[in-house]
Amino acid sequence: MSTNPASGPESIDSFFSRHQFLIYRLFSLSGLIPVGAFLVVHLLTNASVLFGPESFQSRVDLIHSLQPILPFVEWAFIFLPMLFHASVGFAIIAGGLPNVGSYPYVGNVRYTLQRATGMIAFAFILWHVWQLHSLGKSFGGGAFKPEQATSTAATAIQSAPVAILYAIGVLSAVFHFANGLWTLGITWGIWTSPAAMRRANWVSIVVGVALAAAGLGGLAGMLTTDVDEAERIESKLHPKNDAAAQDGR
Amino acid sequence: MIRAVETDVAATDADSSVAVKTIRVRVLRQDAPGRESYWERHDVPYEPNMNIISVLQKIAAKATSADGRAVPPVAWDCSCLEEVCGSCTMLVNGRTRMACSALVDKLLVENADEIVIEPMTKFPVVRDLVVDRRRLFRSLERVKAWVPVDGSYDQGPGPRISPKEQEDAYPLSTCISCGCCLEACPQFTKIEVIRRDDESQEEFDARRKAAFDKGFLGAHAISQAMLFNAHPTGGMIADERLKAVTSQGGIQMCGNAQNCVAVCPKQIPLTRSIARAGRAATLWAIKRLFDR
Repeated sequence: MSTNPASGPESIDSFFSRHQFLIYRLFSLSGLIPVGAFLVVHLLTNASVLFGPESFQSRVDLIHSLQPILPFVEWAFIFLPMLFHASVGFAIIAGGLPNVGSYPYVGNVRYTLQRATGMIAFAFILWHVWQLHSLGKSFGGGAFKPEQATSTAATAIQSAPVAILYAIGVLSAVFHFANGLWTLGITWGIWTSPAAMRRANWVSIVVGVALAAAGLGGLAGMLTTDVDEAERIESKLHPKNDAAAQDGR
Repeated sequence: MIRAVETDVAATDADSSVAVKTIRVRVLRQDAPGRESYWERHDVPYEPNMNIISVLQKIAAKATSADGRAVPPVAWDCSCLEEVCGSCTMLVNGRTRMACSALVDKLLVENADEIVIEPMTKFPVVRDLVVDRRRLFRSLERVKAWVPVDGSYDQGPGPRISPKEQEDAYPLSTCISCGCCLEACPQFTKIEVIRRDDESQEEFDARRKAAFDKGFLGAHAISQAMLFNAHPTGGMIADERLKAVTSQGGIQMCGNAQNCVAVCPKQIPLTRSIARAGRAATLWAIKRLFDR
């Protein structure tokens, strides 16, 4: 920036003001890469449970083969970008004044839903991380065990209220991503004419429907999983862990 | 619908009742800046082919509310009466539009019981339906929405503009600065600065300008920036416009609700301008990053 570097108490406010364009563009980008890309990978990984516990376990094993640098990868490419995206997102929501009641146009409904689904998805992700991720262990959560991926995930989700909340959370995240893909193209000037925006809209609809199918498919796969059967399969794949688990019983 | 049809008949039928010929109007009034607003009902005799301006003229001539009180006439802005000057923007039945082209017969089809008239909500009210839209014009100043030809010598004839470029630019040049796009935009929020007792006019003006300059430019100004950047002479200061468009309150504030294009009375392709500004801003930012 050519502007003089600010100093003094107003410098933080001034920093955000001077770099507002850059921050909002990084916000837009972070929604696609890495947060959106992670969502796609995550939902497709989950959907693999439809092909049985072996299939899901092998993909989880692949991800966890990144140990011991997995926490670094998670924080650098998932958690921190997501927290950045959420922080700027909440600031954007606070600055807007939804008026869908007076102007019920499709674009305006989508604007409102984009904000609503963003907030729902954020709340859902906090709960989801607490419930399944090892970070939640200190707070009574963290039920997911990477060596027993299917059985632990299925056990956590196999209750009607949890399953319904998961469906809402997943669909919110998918809508937010697919609609965000369309607005990102306008923001960066990739599609500029109304006709190009309409074509791009079809692309985002197809992406959204496909991801929703993958997300709900993964959820349905977890709900229909026979936990005992899954544990037997997992113990075959990870005999050492099974022995440890047997000792614990 | 029924009322409008009946009254059309009534105009030619002498023994129709007078009761059906009345339009009920509710106006949101405000006596001065910063004062409480209040609703007031008016009954206006129906005539065919009225617009909201003629309704307001009848209210002003009568200066009596529906409950029979003598009231000061409702104040409003208007000038050309043909959707060209952009001064009579107000909310009619909750939606921003030009009062001159808001036709009563059509409004009665939407809602036969009542017509609701309110001032714009994104600008400070001066009185009743009159609002202070100087922020709209400040935005045009921020993006230098003009062709810079001032100088002390003859700069010669301007460059030629191809018919294709003219066709592209013409719709953008039809902007009438009415502010409908800003009123309908969920990202454009009201900035009202009240003058302090101990403040000179100059100090107040400077403080208000500073407040405006932090706020969102709005679709109209972004579109005008694209209009003048596409002009061969206007484009000579394209970088200055892009600097304004990417500074605080610039293009990044757009939330892609696309209400602007939906309410624009001139059907200006505002979202195309916004997307083009987004593209120009992307390329400009890359250029600034690597070329400095």
